[in-house]
Amino acid sequence: MTMNAMPDVHTLTAAYVCDALDPAEREAFEEHLAQCASCRQEVAELREVTSVLAKAVALEAPARLKAAVDARVAVTRQLPPEVGPEFGSRSGSGREGNAREKGQTGEIGKIGKIGQPEAVAPPSGGRVTPIGAAPSRRRLRGPAWAGWAAAAALAGVAIGLGAHTASQQQQINALVQQAGVMQQLLSAPDARSGSAEVRTGGTATVLDSRSRDEAVISFAGLAAPPPGRAYQLWMIGPTGARSGGLLTLPAAGNPNPVVAHGLGDAKTIGLTVEPAHGSVQPTTAPIVLVPMGS
Amino acid sequence: MPSPETAGPAARRPTPEDCLRRVALGDRDAFDQVYTTFAGPVFGLARRILRDPAQAEEVAQEVLVEVWRTAGRFNPQLGSAQAWVMTMTHRRAVDRVRSEQAAEDREVRLARASAVVDYDDVVETVENRLEQQRVRHCLGALTELQRESVTLAYYNGYTYPQVAKLLAVPLGTVKTRMRDGLARLRDCLGVGR
Repeated sequence: MTMNAMPDVHTLTAAYVCDALDPAEREAFEEHLAQCASCRQEVAELREVTSVLAKAVALEAPARLKAAVDARVAVTRQLPPEVGPEFGSRSGSGREGNAREKGQTGEIGKIGKIGQPEAVAPPSGGRVTPIGAAPSRRRLRGPAWAGWAAAAALAGVAIGLGAHTASQQQQINALVQQAGVMQQLLSAPDARSGSAEVRTGGTATVLDSRSRDEAVISFAGLAAPPPGRAYQLWMIGPTGARSGGLLTLPAAGNPNPVVAHGLGDAKTIGLTVEPAHGSVQPTTAPIVLVPMGS
Repeated sequence: MPSPETAGPAARRPTPEDCLRRVALGDRDAFDQVYTTFAGPVFGLARRILRDPAQAEEVAQEVLVEVWRTAGRFNPQLGSAQAWVMTMTHRRAVDRVRSEQAAEDREVRLARASAVVDYDDVVETVENRLEQQRVRHCLGALTELQRESVTLAYYNGYTYPQVAKLLAVPLGTVKTRMRDGLARLRDCLGVGR
């Protein structure tokens, strides 16, 4: 091992791996890591060791943890991978390689941002309809569904794409509101989630709470509707189906989750394929039905 | 490098690394497997560091959602899935402890905490008996100073200056003992490359 101008720095690997450095030292050490291949190697090795220490204190996780995680996963957009030089259009320098290698460390460092909305996201074609702006977009809806709104995903929302989107501030407001709804829903004692396969492909997930009279509906892996047709959401109860509005699919990725306020007597959330401008009542058989809690 | 695609579905049980790769593609079934593998260790470690079950649950939830969110950033060449997930968990739990501590009187906290140095306490809560015995055995093979430096930092979430204060030894000593301790654990546990 070569001892250079910082003879101390190698001994910091263990303290770093144990998260025993203060924030300034941690940052300084991470800068050093980017330059020091042997330090990275040692950190990687010691992390394997500490992960065994971690596994040794495993406990059975409470059952409700799974439901809470699933509900949030259903409305959490995944980060795209970082594209390294070998995948890029041009060959990268060693520096880029280092930066990429540091990515795993850097990402871990960013975990403090969990649950906070990010104002920056990769282009996805995703469209954000702020809460409160949605009703004017859906003329066919009566007052009964005025409370429905498409909202931004909890984390990672495309900002400023397309001239029709609202101002950034409105979108951020919508995001914060959405995050608030999610948090409150998740903390409700009767919060529950259910999901079902969509007949034409994909999954629908509903997180709902009777006591809060709210539900969040999200979809993953939906195929585009047939040409000239649209997806329409329904709240279905003993007295019939109420429209939840049209589900807008982005050009790529999953549609933004939809928040429903005022569940009424609805017991089930359904999705049908309708003419492009929607229907007053369902005209086709639902391609998915997700029961809600009672 | 494993190439999960060529092995065929029935060839072998997918490793956590394979599962993370599928999770990065948005595969919810793969995420369920990742959850099954890691929920216990994630919750257990958060609980060990934070003590408070409610806070541990919150941290566990945040970490597991973060696993879903950032699975595409996981690089198996830089370490195992277990190391990736547990590193996130530890960092998150420790950050939570520190932000809480900042609001309290550090001296009082440290004095109160000095009662919790017993490493047996670390292994008592273990569910996985084999892992527990292995870790207990290897921790037992360390010098007292190595063991206490490692366990106070890792399981209690102290900074190394706090560990130095608790053990009444110089800072430099704690740093080296911590490193020597982890290196010996690595050899004893037979992990790492």
